[in-house]
Amino acid sequence: MNCMELRRSLLVNPRLRDREQQMHARECAACHAFAMELEGLESMIEDAVRVPVPEALAERVILRQRTQRSGRRVLFALAASLALAIGVGMHVYRGVDTIDEQPIAATSLGYQNPAVAAISYVLEHEPQLLRTNQSGDPAVMRDALLRLGMTLPEDRVKVRYLGKCPVPGGTGEHLVLATPSGHVTLILVPDRSLGTRVVVDFRGRTAVSSPIRSGSYIVVADSLQTVKKLEQM
Amino acid sequence: MLFAGKQAEFDGVVRAFSVELYRYAYGLCRDRFVAEDLVQDTFTRAWRAWDKLEDDKAARAWLYTILRNEHARLFERKRLDHDEDQDLDEIPDLSSGANPLPGLEVRDAIRALPEGYREPLLLQVLGGFSCAEIANVMRISEGAVMTRLTRARIAFRQLPGWERQMRKKSS
Repeated sequence: MNCMELRRSLLVNPRLRDREQQMHARECAACHAFAMELEGLESMIEDAVRVPVPEALAERVILRQRTQRSGRRVLFALAASLALAIGVGMHVYRGVDTIDEQPIAATSLGYQNPAVAAISYVLEHEPQLLRTNQSGDPAVMRDALLRLGMTLPEDRVKVRYLGKCPVPGGTGEHLVLATPSGHVTLILVPDRSLGTRVVVDFRGRTAVSSPIRSGSYIVVADSLQTVKKLEQM
Repeated sequence: MLFAGKQAEFDGVVRAFSVELYRYAYGLCRDRFVAEDLVQDTFTRAWRAWDKLEDDKAARAWLYTILRNEHARLFERKRLDHDEDQDLDEIPDLSSGANPLPGLEVRDAIRALPEGYREPLLLQVLGGFSCAEIANVMRISEGAVMTRLTRARIAFRQLPGWERQMRKKSS
């Protein structure tokens, strides 16, 4: 094996070294240095690709698979609630008078309340998510929405961010929407009830947490008026 | 009982491979939320086709292939746009930015690699796959895999300041 052959093989895989390669590297100082250099580079690449993994990822995968196995009910609920939450949310509450409802103070609900916690999450994490998220490409967003079975009134609403966020007892689908009234956060929790409808003012934002069919949704905006505009869209 | 065995087998595979699949997904899409979705979708598809998996030893490469396909499907439009700008006949110049950074992070450099180079590198470093296995996952020739891995590493070696980083790491 000559120097060129050794270097070629090291560039393909620095970790893979047979006896012939090792022998050459021992006898040739330049190739030895080259091999050491590539090994150092390889360690740096390995460190870089081992990114932190979300906690309990495997458990969430297994849970979802088991839930789906029990029927398509959850998937249907997801698609239905996503569409309803955005499109016709208010129809679910025909029997509930929400016209005159007034926000209540966060202190009376506690900071663990889903609506209050959602406001905190939006204020603390959303600016960063909007800055760093790379799935903001409209084409990618459309694909993601299609995968979720969602339809948006695209003439009035644009998705600026789509991801996941923590909600009590699990994760929710987190969307930041650009609407004619400004940015609105919509958090969808398809398979869990977050309790009865709550409207809360906290840290200059208004949030509504509301049950919908088999799950719940939370809307966070700068005012109750903006929240309701989205609900009625 | 048969179904319970299948479920246990599936759970074991999820626990064994979800971490490396997440990292592979993240390496492809560079978004932690999309990466988790890709892993979820990969295992959902894998479960549906579980009975077709004849050789347990092939499960790992099979999962990588599913994830790669899921990513391609999700990013189809983006990928087409990207490929137009990407010339795999050339060694990528990672130092061509306006302001070459002496302390350029390797993670940034990996991100800057064209997908055609990044992918085999991820499969080799994260998955420990051989060139033949990578060729099989990527549906390209083994020779092409070797060329891409070589060019990816040459691109890293051309990075300004990477030697300094290496010295820093070893000190």
